[in-house]
Amino acid sequence: MIGNYLIGLREGLESALIVSILVAYLVRTQRRYLLNRVWIGVGLAVGLSIAVGTVLTFGTSTLTFQAQETIGGTLSLVAVGLVTWMIFWMANNARHLKGELHAKLDKAADADFWAVGLVAFLAVAREGLETALFIWAAARSTGQGSAPLFGALLGIATAVALGWLVYKGALRLNLATFFKWTGAALIIVAAGVLAYGIHDLQEAGVLPGLDVLAFDVSETIPPSAWYAVLLKSTINFTPAMTVLSAVGWLVYVSVVMTLFVRKVRTPSPPPVKAADREQAGVA
Amino acid sequence: MKILLPAAAAVLAVGLAACTSQSSDTADATTVAVTSSASACDVSPTQAPAGTIVFSVSNTGDEPTELYLLASDDSIVGEVENVGPGVSRDLVVDAAAGDYTALCKPGMVGDGIPTEFTVTDS
Repeated sequence: MIGNYLIGLREGLESALIVSILVAYLVRTQRRYLLNRVWIGVGLAVGLSIAVGTVLTFGTSTLTFQAQETIGGTLSLVAVGLVTWMIFWMANNARHLKGELHAKLDKAADADFWAVGLVAFLAVAREGLETALFIWAAARSTGQGSAPLFGALLGIATAVALGWLVYKGALRLNLATFFKWTGAALIIVAAGVLAYGIHDLQEAGVLPGLDVLAFDVSETIPPSAWYAVLLKSTINFTPAMTVLSAVGWLVYVSVVMTLFVRKVRTPSPPPVKAADREQAGVA
Repeated sequence: MKILLPAAAAVLAVGLAACTSQSSDTADATTVAVTSSASACDVSPTQAPAGTIVFSVSNTGDEPTELYLLASDDSIVGEVENVGPGVSRDLVVDAAAGDYTALCKPGMVGDGIPTEFTVTDS
């Protein structure tokens, strides 16, 4: 059961982190009324994953390995693009918030909020199909009764609970710290998604270099250990990484982190007062 | 915002293309049973006619396992991961005639347990 629990946790945690940061952001910037777009995105992704997973499990047609990896890899790259956009969009909005906090929101920026739904959709849909197929497999397995299914679902529930804790924690941060840390966290997560997407496309044969490893520490960090699962689902650290994935990760982090640090530093962040925190809806 | 519509369209296009052109009909496929335990990888039968082959992987070990089908040049023809303990999952591949290696990786670590697998002319 532990094995299936950890698989469920790994598949769900990354999506939960991205969605909870999104939700925390909307709540902190007094945009609760836009939350439904996030939930629509999440709902569509879950629904679509379950529908496709069900058709593939019970129907007579199925995706070949190459097709599944190509879809997963492409979705990952698109997700990286959107999360990157979101990071800078959030940083921009953070600057708008300077001084007259929440008093006069830039309504024009709301037009972009459908993109928030799309980010949520991709964050979940990316690994959604694999998760749906895994859940169906666990549900249909006869080896250990209902233990595999129970373990898998418990893992996903844990991921959602951890996402909720991150959300609660993010509400406690003062606003300047919140923008800095969620931005930095998203950059690390996005870099991991990029590395993962590259690896998927290498497995599908779309990109070369699958057997050219940058490092392989899977002897010391077994991929099925709980800490390896946590590393994998937060920063997408894999014990064995191809050179192309590792280079992609490094280039992304160094370029985007530099741009991000410049962006948030340009205006000196306003001192956050207690009144601001109340206004920001700290629970 | 303007970049988003093309992005969404691209995702849909990829999905549709993958579903229509690369999906396989499993109705006339050959099924190969693979039993992966902590120390063994039983593949039965060890040959199949060219075409769609379904490797049905059952994990009887205590850790998640995965199955790779490797071509003779060690490139990956197919892989199914996340086969949890007590779980069965299918790997579906379209394989041409040739010599392959079916490789179980209990615990998803190490070199794995290889079994030679032959695809004959159909």
